[in-house]
Amino acid sequence: MKAYNIVITGVGGQGVLLTAEILGNSALKEGYDVRVSEIHGMAQRGGSVVCDVRIGKRVYAPTTPDGMADVMLGLEPIETLRYLKFASPQTLIIMNTRSVKPVSVLMGAAKDLSLDDITQIINRYYDNAILIDAMQLAMKAGSPIVQNMVMLGVLASTEHLPININTLKESIKQLVSPRYFELNMMAFELGLKAGESYSSFKH
Amino acid sequence: MTDPRTLLSKNVGESYLLLGNEAIARGAIEAGVRVVTTYPGTPSSEIADNLSRIAKEAGIYMEYSTNEIVAVEVAAGASLCGVRALSSMKHVGLNVASDALITLAYTGVRGGLVIVSADDPSCWSSQNEQDNRYYALLANLPCLEPSNSQEAKDWIVYAFDLSEKFELPVLFRTTTRVSHTLAPVELGMIHERSDHGRFVPEVKRFVMVPDFARIRHAVLIEKMKSIKELSEKSPLNKIVREGGKIGFVTSGASFNYTMEAIDILNIEASVLKIGLIHPFPEQLVKDFVKGFEEVFVVEELEPYIENAVRTSASALGLIRINGKSDGFLPRNGELSTSIVVKALAKSLGKPLPRNLVNEIPFEEIQKSLPSRPPILCPGCPHRASFYAMKKALKGAQINCTDIGCYALGVQAPLKIGDLLICMGASVGTACGMSKVQERPVVAIVGDSTFFHASIPGLINAVYNNHRTVLIVLDNYATAMTGFQPHPGTGFTGTGDRGKRVVIEEVAKGCGVELVEVVDPYDIKQTCDALKRAMEYPGPSVVVARQKCSLLAVQEKRRKGESVIPYKIVKDKCTNCLACVKVLGCPAIYLSNDMVMIDADTCTGCSVCAQVCPYKAIEISRMNQDESV
Repeated sequence: MKAYNIVITGVGGQGVLLTAEILGNSALKEGYDVRVSEIHGMAQRGGSVVCDVRIGKRVYAPTTPDGMADVMLGLEPIETLRYLKFASPQTLIIMNTRSVKPVSVLMGAAKDLSLDDITQIINRYYDNAILIDAMQLAMKAGSPIVQNMVMLGVLASTEHLPININTLKESIKQLVSPRYFELNMMAFELGLKAGESYSSFKH
Repeated sequence: MTDPRTLLSKNVGESYLLLGNEAIARGAIEAGVRVVTTYPGTPSSEIADNLSRIAKEAGIYMEYSTNEIVAVEVAAGASLCGVRALSSMKHVGLNVASDALITLAYTGVRGGLVIVSADDPSCWSSQNEQDNRYYALLANLPCLEPSNSQEAKDWIVYAFDLSEKFELPVLFRTTTRVSHTLAPVELGMIHERSDHGRFVPEVKRFVMVPDFARIRHAVLIEKMKSIKELSEKSPLNKIVREGGKIGFVTSGASFNYTMEAIDILNIEASVLKIGLIHPFPEQLVKDFVKGFEEVFVVEELEPYIENAVRTSASALGLIRINGKSDGFLPRNGELSTSIVVKALAKSLGKPLPRNLVNEIPFEEIQKSLPSRPPILCPGCPHRASFYAMKKALKGAQINCTDIGCYALGVQAPLKIGDLLICMGASVGTACGMSKVQERPVVAIVGDSTFFHASIPGLINAVYNNHRTVLIVLDNYATAMTGFQPHPGTGFTGTGDRGKRVVIEEVAKGCGVELVEVVDPYDIKQTCDALKRAMEYPGPSVVVARQKCSLLAVQEKRRKGESVIPYKIVKDKCTNCLACVKVLGCPAIYLSNDMVMIDADTCTGCSVCAQVCPYKAIEISRMNQDESV
């Protein structure tokens, strides 16, 4: 079995690492070998974050080779584009449409990219793209901080992932602090439901 | 985050997903480590951080030492009394510790002593990407390099045994991609060891005056000869794949990329993985390369293995060895599967796999994106200090900055930072600059950096009367690396109350005559103090003290107190964007071209309210009170 590669991107503070750890732990539970790459330190301060989850019978490297991502899970639109080199036209792109503006844009020092510009690029090169307003669903669950769980739910719904939904739920329970478990699970379920409406991506 | 208590699990044979650093911590527990010391630094921090949380339960003495050389000395002291000890640091930390390490190789140790160096190829969070395998050569000490979490765990146990058997400190080198990768680890048995030792004097061995040092150097060389024999047969150095006419010699993270590249390009090849990288297994390598026409050495940074392979193969006649010297791989930056695939395809004349010839113009797309560098957090007191510096000193000064969150001040709009070298260098370089040119010179250090490496520089400024201003940004934590405590916090690594060392008292004790302490959130007070310091004819110190905003918010939430954000008063705001343009606080943003403050991320520091020329920023609750 060739490694199944998930590339998760976002902004420091959005929960990229937690999402990756949930996927990694779930893969281990299902008997796979797994590698999850993290970059700590500088990346935590509102910077750009990328994290790989690689699942297979035997995995060596922690990072995905260029063009070999099976899924790109983008928690933020600009950060989804920033790491497109890991995707090929066959890659499934799941992107949150809610942007987090870089300070350079807020200060007027850098040109912004509108969501239209971004979706145009995605649609031009990728057939399999799910664009989702994770913020809206996260607010429905109760807090903007669970956008990552909404996105994980959407990924789980696609049946693209070689991991059982119940295993993911177990890992969420294990890794999320008990105080926020309900909130996270609610967001995950809302993501699942939203993802199911994109039935065309089911195999 | 993995629960640190997982590292104490008695479930031998169970597998857990652990970071390389967590695996090292677990390995140390299995080996019966009893003393753990560190100075935090990415990518090494999680080793000691995890152990700090479980140290008491595990019967381990753990401390955050003031710097890396002290950390190694503390661990060595324990080891010389027969207790197993570990000291972990980032690669540049080993520069600081090297003075102790190199002579420790002569004296040797008693209880196993392992020094972990986490290197950072590609400078993910470092000021350089030095290759610390050369410390193994320089000190002539054994060095191990794991390629994944399982090896990290298993080989730490091996390292302790090796250290104790040969009575030498053992270096354990990882890189970011091993330290910060989660991978399955099957747990082994925990061996209990005594936390109590005894020092047996042996003057000729431990007192390194020249006469004894000469003898001990010879002893070290003999010990390393024996370890070299062991290296030739060690299970850590092994052929993991056989076949074909091409041979690969590799180690650590590079081994992973090599294995995947061979699969992707569908090459028939043999792979020798070196785990015990010093002393180098010359004979093993010689026997391995003998059968091949062509050998590829895959390693990151310097041609350490390549040079050793060339030496081993020199007697064998014509074998083509591909490495750094012929440009097969770069000598800078970390490797990846893609880099190795591309280099190999080029070298072997093979076509690149389809996915690597991507028809999407991602480079062009990437160039069109606004950059998102790491920035100072909302409400960061450093932002306030930097703003005050700009306002009070009007940009006349040279800013020698240092290692820590405040290095991020170099970004727009604050742009504070003209020079950054290494821990504590701000103070020394400021002294030199002040002697040979007219512009005032400021040295900027954090609280932890002050204790780590700034005090000798400060004493130098006093002793030699350098006209420098040292600004200590005291936020009560070693924030950049994960909020570890330091002498100025008054708390120890395991959460006990210790004696607090007060920065301004240290400065006064060093002989500084003008020492001021300010709250950076009070812009006027900070500006006034900075002006006085700048006008002072000798060295001066300004301590800007305010808790890290992340910690402050966390504490308030824990106590159930609310964080009261500021807000824009629409009637007064002229949308002049002064707040946005001079502070660059991520809590302030534009919505439909109007300035807004994000109530969720604003920490209520009040700095923007002090900056606003139209008094159009107010605390939220004040407004509510008025309306009642």
